[in-house]
Amino acid sequence: MGRQEAARPRLIAISPDDGAAIDLRNPVLAAALSWLVPGLGQLYQGRTLKGGLFMAALLGTLVVGMWIGAGRVVYASWRPGEPRLAFIGQAGIGAVAIPAVLQSLRLNGPAREPYFAAGLFAPPLATGQLVTPAYAARVSRAEPGFDFFDRPPLAQCQRDQLSAWQRRLGRRFEIGTLYTVLAGMLNVLVVLDALSGPLPAPSRAGAAEKTPAAPAGGPSGRETR
Amino acid sequence: MIDPLPLLFAQFADKVPGVFFGLPLLALASLIFAATHHEDPAAIGLATVHWAVWLGGILGVVLAAVLLLGWLV
Repeated sequence: MGRQEAARPRLIAISPDDGAAIDLRNPVLAAALSWLVPGLGQLYQGRTLKGGLFMAALLGTLVVGMWIGAGRVVYASWRPGEPRLAFIGQAGIGAVAIPAVLQSLRLNGPAREPYFAAGLFAPPLATGQLVTPAYAARVSRAEPGFDFFDRPPLAQCQRDQLSAWQRRLGRRFEIGTLYTVLAGMLNVLVVLDALSGPLPAPSRAGAAEKTPAAPAGGPSGRETR
Repeated sequence: MIDPLPLLFAQFADKVPGVFFGLPLLALASLIFAATHHEDPAAIGLATVHWAVWLGGILGVVLAAVLLLGWLV
């Protein structure tokens, strides 16, 4: 095991600031960890300052966004005519993308209720959608005035839940969505940072004469040792 | 002739909530852009300011253009 570890070439990146080597360890695993929780991949690579920074900044923004949107802004829905396009950006953070997909699959599947009974990350119900009476009762309790028809053994939604959320939350729904989408999109850069180290600076005309040649491994300053 | 300044000010005041909620996002984007391009804490701090000025300037110009177009049209 130890011999295999020693024999495997290590991927390192070069710091653009002082030229120091950055051990990327297993970059694919680090990228996956950073996708799951922002900054976790950097912590795994021993880059604690950046890991903590990414974690605090992006998770903080995500939580604030969800708080502004009353926990309703992150969900996955690919219903015809009403796809949740904002989820494409939000999916940049796995910690919310995975539960949102699971909740959507279960609510729209034969079970007809989400995994988490509170409905967090669950998509809004459409008019006429059938759900279990237990979930219908929870939705009615959480949103007074939101009623269901009895369709034993199920319950049928009377109104469009998304419209009800938007009426209740007003601009908060849009602002919460914006915060969570931006957190997810910025996390893509964090994943790339975990995968290949600091991103290359944008090239400028004439800069090639002043800067030294890029290290082996390409312009990203990535090389194997 | 209507004095344009009060109208422009009113249009800007209408956008204050958006600006208020947008500023933290601008700071966040600047921080992430800076931190994904540098490794040294001091360099990250400097680059964050650099990015904030650039992004703030670009978005400020866009906001000003929107306000002016809203006033003209």
